Amino acid sequence: MATKPQQKMDARFIAIKVLLRVLKNGESLSSAIPNEISNLDERERPLLQALVYGVLRWRWQLESILKKYLKKALKAKDLDINIILMLGVFQLLWLRTPDYAAVDGAVNSSLKIRKKWAKALINAVLRQLIRERDEINYKDTLEAEFSHPQWLIDKIKYDWPEQWQQILSEANQAAPMTLRLDTRQMEVADYNELLNEVELDAEVAAHVPGALILKQPADVSRLPGFEQGLVSVQDAAAQCAAPLLQLAPQQKVLDACAAPGGKSAHILQTEPALELDAVDISESRLQRVAENLQRLGQQANLICADISQPEQWWQGQQYDRILLDAPCSASGVIRRHPDIKSLRRESDIAELVATQQQILDVLWPMLKPGGLMLYATCSIFRVENEQQMQHFLQRMTDAEEIKIAAGWGHEQKVGRQILSGEQQMDGFYYALVRKSI
Amino acid sequence: MAILPILEFPDDRLRTVARPVEVVDDQIRAVLDDMLQTMYDAPGIGLAATQVNIHQRLIVIDVSEEKNQPLYLVNPEIVGLQGIEEMDEGCLSVPGIYETVQRADRITIKALGYDGNVFTLDAEELLAVCIQHEIDHLDGKLFVDYLSPLKRNRIKKKLEKQRKQAAS
Repeated sequence: MATKPQQKMDARFIAIKVLLRVLKNGESLSSAIPNEISNLDERERPLLQALVYGVLRWRWQLESILKKYLKKALKAKDLDINIILMLGVFQLLWLRTPDYAAVDGAVNSSLKIRKKWAKALINAVLRQLIRERDEINYKDTLEAEFSHPQWLIDKIKYDWPEQWQQILSEANQAAPMTLRLDTRQMEVADYNELLNEVELDAEVAAHVPGALILKQPADVSRLPGFEQGLVSVQDAAAQCAAPLLQLAPQQKVLDACAAPGGKSAHILQTEPALELDAVDISESRLQRVAENLQRLGQQANLICADISQPEQWWQGQQYDRILLDAPCSASGVIRRHPDIKSLRRESDIAELVATQQQILDVLWPMLKPGGLMLYATCSIFRVENEQQMQHFLQRMTDAEEIKIAAGWGHEQKVGRQILSGEQQMDGFYYALVRKSI
Repeated sequence: MAILPILEFPDDRLRTVARPVEVVDDQIRAVLDDMLQTMYDAPGIGLAATQVNIHQRLIVIDVSEEKNQPLYLVNPEIVGLQGIEEMDEGCLSVPGIYETVQRADRITIKALGYDGNVFTLDAEELLAVCIQHEIDHLDGKLFVDYLSPLKRNRIKKKLEKQRKQAAS
């Protein structure tokens, strides 16, 4: 048997394939897009991004709209048709794609995946929607209103009874592109002028020295001095780590779970004359650390190992500083990774909490008496953050918290919490502990 | 391995009913290897031995995008059929023609594999359609047989014309 030769790929069709990888295979967006994008014309890439991020971000609203127009739910094996419909609705209501183009694109997609039977269904649903688009109420449930799965809404509401609505709506906004300037090379105000010269507009972050928030995302090739290592791309919340570590020359420092290396680079930028071990479990992600450090002309010992198995990688020499950017639910960075809302399961949380605890316990003996450990997550859940560290301080009699004083975030019983979108930062948690002498 | 010539509609040899294979030996495996190479080269997603003028019940299939999941079927039998699916089909023996055919969308088959061991397989969608298409070949049947005589005749004329043009 032979199949029709593939026509040139368009963004709408590649978007279906990317979304199938995420919603059917459970692949993350950051792996699904590179796996499909090679078939796509360079000029179509922004549209692909808009489509896949948009559908994953607004999925619960899109599904609530579709539910009204579908006489019966689609079968699980017709997830592709469901995706085609969501893409169609998203284009009609969010992107304001011309009606005929959205409908035609959706119908053609169904033919390309050889599901001719769906043609009439797609036509009927999208055309009815076009007729009624001004009257649609798609905020009839909390899931639809905030476009998050119910368990996530419940959990955020429970943890943040005052701020949950704000958190959820911030999580649906696209995150800004934030730069980290090497302030030893240049003042922030001077770099801001360089940006203006290439017609980029940035805002200086109020409480994070060296952070500049771009008004519009731009390709890194447009950033003055990027190749030379003058600036890096990193959210302002992540830029809070290195300054908290009180770095000094000759210190021996561990960055556990280092990939993709932004914080490692920041540590070395802050204090180049220290010895840094950067550990990560993934060889391919450690490769990204290597690339990042190379661009900045920095040196670290890159170690590919499971951090919780020290006999595999630790030489037995204690550290002055440990940064543990722990594996977490990533509930604070949903605005950057909307696929988290579809991929994360409620049952994952307990497992993550156990992993975090295990790593904390393994790392603690590796810290010198008098040394500092900074625990960080990009989560907003108390079990992973404040409660995790409360338990830690109870377990370790030789650990004492050092309160973080800063213009960002909220002081917790232990540590400091940034909520998603506050001061345009990602949701992040930091707790600093010292080992008694 | 070798690339084998593919018979084209309306060649009468495509109407031969293939014989069951008695034992899957190295000779059969060599035929399967050649068929797979011929299929990838065409390029196609399935090929029945009938199409390369070998009248034994042998099929090779690969519906994966990366072309790295070959499936070998020896003496395949359909033991279960469910649902209806319409798909645009094409055939390496009817080059350049694509028409909609209705088939079952979920099937269960029993067959011998490359190693000669018997197995059963549940298939759906494209794979299910492809298996049905190829088993038809072993029974001397082509996908154009499902079309109206008028359409079939038009395809026959079109292919004859193409061949004449290619020859001149």
